[in-house]
Amino acid sequence: MNKASLQNSLMLAPLVGATGSLMSALGLWLMFVVVIGAYALGMGALRPRLASSTHWVAGVLLAATLTACVELAGQSWSLQWQQHLGLYAGLIALQCVVLDNNGFFQSPGRDRLRLCGLFGLLMVVLGLLREIIGNGTLGAHLTWLMGGADWPGWVLTVDGGLRLATLAPGGLILLGLLIAAKQAWHRPTPSN
Amino acid sequence: MNRAMSVATLVLLAGLGIGATYVVQNLSAARIATEQRLIDSRTLLDMLPPGSYDNQPLEQPLALENLALTNSTLVTGYLATKGGQPNAVLLRSQTLGYAGIIELLIAIDANGKLLGVKTLKQTETPGLGGRLADWPNTWLQLFTGKSRTEPADNGWALKKDQGQFDQMAGATITSRAVINAIHDALRYFDEHRQQLVGSIPHE
Repeated sequence: MNKASLQNSLMLAPLVGATGSLMSALGLWLMFVVVIGAYALGMGALRPRLASSTHWVAGVLLAATLTACVELAGQSWSLQWQQHLGLYAGLIALQCVVLDNNGFFQSPGRDRLRLCGLFGLLMVVLGLLREIIGNGTLGAHLTWLMGGADWPGWVLTVDGGLRLATLAPGGLILLGLLIAAKQAWHRPTPSN
Repeated sequence: MNRAMSVATLVLLAGLGIGATYVVQNLSAARIATEQRLIDSRTLLDMLPPGSYDNQPLEQPLALENLALTNSTLVTGYLATKGGQPNAVLLRSQTLGYAGIIELLIAIDANGKLLGVKTLKQTETPGLGGRLADWPNTWLQLFTGKSRTEPADNGWALKKDQGQFDQMAGATITSRAVINAIHDALRYFDEHRQQLVGSIPHE
């Protein structure tokens, strides 16, 4: 397996697992951005002080610390939100290490922003679609972000929607459809 | 870069990491535990209309312990109040089903009307009586709004026993046990209304 596909398959886990609703997708992406940002700063400071053979040990230590701290901070912010993310929050540490190993943190700033942005966009779009199709709501539990009483969101359909979309297989199917739509969009129309 | 310095930096990083995680864990533990308790009580109390109580009912147990009624046992009870006024009573009732003990949480409002019934524990046959544990539960919703006098005592039974309630398909014994437990709880509330909510009903 080449490096890029390992990186992408690690992104697949949260893309399918944590996008059951808009808020869980958004929460995981926010955590991802915070941890990646702090990791980049930390490793930037550590790298000159370490022999290159020990870089990965430092990376693992830093990623584990940051993920644990951000997860705990998130739990005291809104426990329910964190409970919806489940184990996918912990996977961010692994993602950090793999990205570092792929040289992500040495690549130009624009590339890094592009990857983070693309990941966020995909997460949010999938979260939105799955919530609308699966639960028939939009922006449920948005109050987890700000605090205050729990809010059921804008209810679009009363009968609940298609349950498949809230389950992992539904997420995978939707992701496949999105990628297929993108491919179809970019393919030049065949000339007869 | 010399090796000793690398190792020292790594050890320092590990120490800092463990320390930071420990401090954050300590700082947030109390808050997380409180929130967890709040979530637990909310799932237990979702039969009560939101905003109908402003106390912590689970921290206000009633003075009844293992009280044997005709067909069931009251394990504990809780009082939900709003602005100091009793608003609802939650009774935790145990009865014997087909396969073992069934534990129900029965919410009754101050006028003796049933607000809802929730299954806390059951070991009935999965797919038959075991559907008692589903939430929200259409069969248990049949009882919402009923009281001791509505229907009268002989109506509090399955249609099979000349009462007025449907049963869960394929689970006669479970259904019968649940109906009797609910009826018991309502009767107990009716007979001890004064003591439980301290007021005469305004009907």
